[in-house]
Amino acid sequence: MSLPAEAFMSQIAAAEPWPENATLYQPLKEDQILLSDCASSLAVQAYLRMCGLPVQVVCRVNAEYMSPSGKIPFIHVGNQVVSELGPIVQFTKAKGHSLSEALDDVQRAEMKAYMELVNNMLLTAELYIQWCDDATATEISRPRYSSPYSWPLSSILAYQKQWEVRRKMNAIGWGGKTLEQVYEDVSQCCQALSQRLGTQPYFFNKHPTELDALVFGHLFTILTTRLTSAELAERIKSYSNLLSFCRRIEQTYFEDKRS
Amino acid sequence: MGTVHAKSLDPLPMHGRDLSVNPDDLVEAPETEQEAKQEILENKDVVVQHVNIQGLGRTKEDLLGYEISDVFHAKNLIDVMKKSHIARQKLLRLGIFKEVEVLIDTSEGTDALPNGLDVTFEVTEVKRLTGSYNTMVGNNEGSMVLGLKLPNMFGRAEKLTFQFSYGTKETSYGLSFFKPQNTNTVVTATLNFPLGWTNHTLKWEGVWRELGCLARSASFAVREESGHSLKSALSHTVSVDSRNSAIFPSRGALLRLNQELAGYTGGDASFLKEDFELQLNRRLFWDSVLSASLWGGMLYPLGGQPSCIADRFYLGGPTSVRGFGMYSIGPQSEGDYLGGEAYWAGGLHLYTPLPFRPGKGGFGDLFRTHFFLNAGNLCNLNYGEGPRAHLQKLAECIRWSYGAGIVLRLGNIARLELNYCVPMGVQSGDRICDGVQFGAGIRFL
Repeated sequence: MSLPAEAFMSQIAAAEPWPENATLYQPLKEDQILLSDCASSLAVQAYLRMCGLPVQVVCRVNAEYMSPSGKIPFIHVGNQVVSELGPIVQFTKAKGHSLSEALDDVQRAEMKAYMELVNNMLLTAELYIQWCDDATATEISRPRYSSPYSWPLSSILAYQKQWEVRRKMNAIGWGGKTLEQVYEDVSQCCQALSQRLGTQPYFFNKHPTELDALVFGHLFTILTTRLTSAELAERIKSYSNLLSFCRRIEQTYFEDKRS
Repeated sequence: MGTVHAKSLDPLPMHGRDLSVNPDDLVEAPETEQEAKQEILENKDVVVQHVNIQGLGRTKEDLLGYEISDVFHAKNLIDVMKKSHIARQKLLRLGIFKEVEVLIDTSEGTDALPNGLDVTFEVTEVKRLTGSYNTMVGNNEGSMVLGLKLPNMFGRAEKLTFQFSYGTKETSYGLSFFKPQNTNTVVTATLNFPLGWTNHTLKWEGVWRELGCLARSASFAVREESGHSLKSALSHTVSVDSRNSAIFPSRGALLRLNQELAGYTGGDASFLKEDFELQLNRRLFWDSVLSASLWGGMLYPLGGQPSCIADRFYLGGPTSVRGFGMYSIGPQSEGDYLGGEAYWAGGLHLYTPLPFRPGKGGFGDLFRTHFFLNAGNLCNLNYGEGPRAHLQKLAECIRWSYGAGIVLRLGNIARLELNYCVPMGVQSGDRICDGVQFGAGIRFL
């Protein structure tokens, strides 16, 4: 379909109400999904729950390849397929649901800045620990990533993914970092988030925004995922307001069903 | 083909930029007189001391080291010639040299051994920019392709090509850049043997399949099949062919049965696939031939997994049921055809020579007119029910078509057809091509 036709279709889709059978796709929860994907998926789920939009979570082995951008998670709404938190926020906005409408321009810019911080620091640190740390890659990431496939395809895909992530890390300058430095970066990021949060319930006082969903997704996943070393979780635990923030969101939005 | 010079008297010519794999440089020293000696060279042990490549402009040397390294291992003169020839083929296969000439000479210089040899590859690099124009005929489409190629862009045999293709089915243009790789995504091992009248083929095939959605708007059913899978399958084919020609047989029959079992030798895909092809030909009055053909197949997924879109059967198009779009019969979702697990297709043809027989005995014999009647069905079966229910399902919603056209034989392998078709029994979701339909291919119903 040509670009104008696609844009036209998007416009039409935007006018439709949110259907009952909206679905979110992610890799298999028990055996396959990795830390970074789980965090991104949880962030989107939290965001949709905050908006009050029902969505069903479906686990598929090939979710990564089904996604139009190659990234997890993606949602299938009506006959539209949208992936990643940013575009999903835009998509829901077009349908009339938004969490950041009440913010003024300064606050919105601040929110975007903090979201970029989380993406550039926390997400990158998660990817680094998963694929660039040999112990984690060998014990956890590669076996999990390759579990649905048979040999030799499993080894090929796992190593391919590892090389791809390592190349990306080198390209953004993280290739030379040590694990200690990465933990330090995570600490600093958490410190910035903790300071911004302060004693408020959410980042922008009373009501949650997409920033809250994103931070919750990453922090909660790190706290509840077993890695080769508990260091990452420990760094986050040292900020008590972040811990209570996670607990609050879990209780408010996920109490009926844990995802 | 190329020339191999083996000289033993004159000094090595040294023109242009010279790249020596051995760090020692050959000095252009004046040659001392050497007497021509008659020797039996074949059994004489030689040592290849230097391998040089002359004429490199933008190609980087590290790319070529691998190709020519084997020459060093040659032990006698015949071996040197053989290995140099193989290295020459490898260099040409990279696609970056227009011509490669090999020069074998005795070693010169202070460290020359009495039985030492120097091998020089004189290469001419291809131009930086080449253009091409060709026409392509595939299964059901013809197109004209204009290409622009920049071979060996950065010196390591990278190739940048730009192609513009204008054809009956689609117009497209594409830019592609690739580095030469040694990976294969299909591995097969085949054993072929005749047994009495029959010809058997046993094959093991390992395929790494990667399915992806080309368009953002691909239907979700197709999107769900994206990803990687590995198929490791054993297949057995029996064929009995008593026809007097593969393309326009006037008598004889063909029966081909094929079974494929995947999943028991590893891999992700697990299924049992059967298909058969039957063709009968009989000559009628006045050089006309009546031909009847029947195809059928069934795919039975094993292990409880649903079948993969890449394994299912497809039906429709100028090479099977004419009058319908290519692979456009059967289950579909939002315009994308998903294939089916069982199918059958039949055709009845009457082939006659061209009316008034123009060009008889020569060019005209390549053509035939034909009148055809095609029918077929493609669907998914519910394997829980019995064979009666299956037959019933295949017998309902039969698509069929009739028409006439001209067929042209290409060599002994392919044929082109231009038909006027009238499709009937069209079900909702099928895409038809009524009126004039052009087809090109190897295997026709």
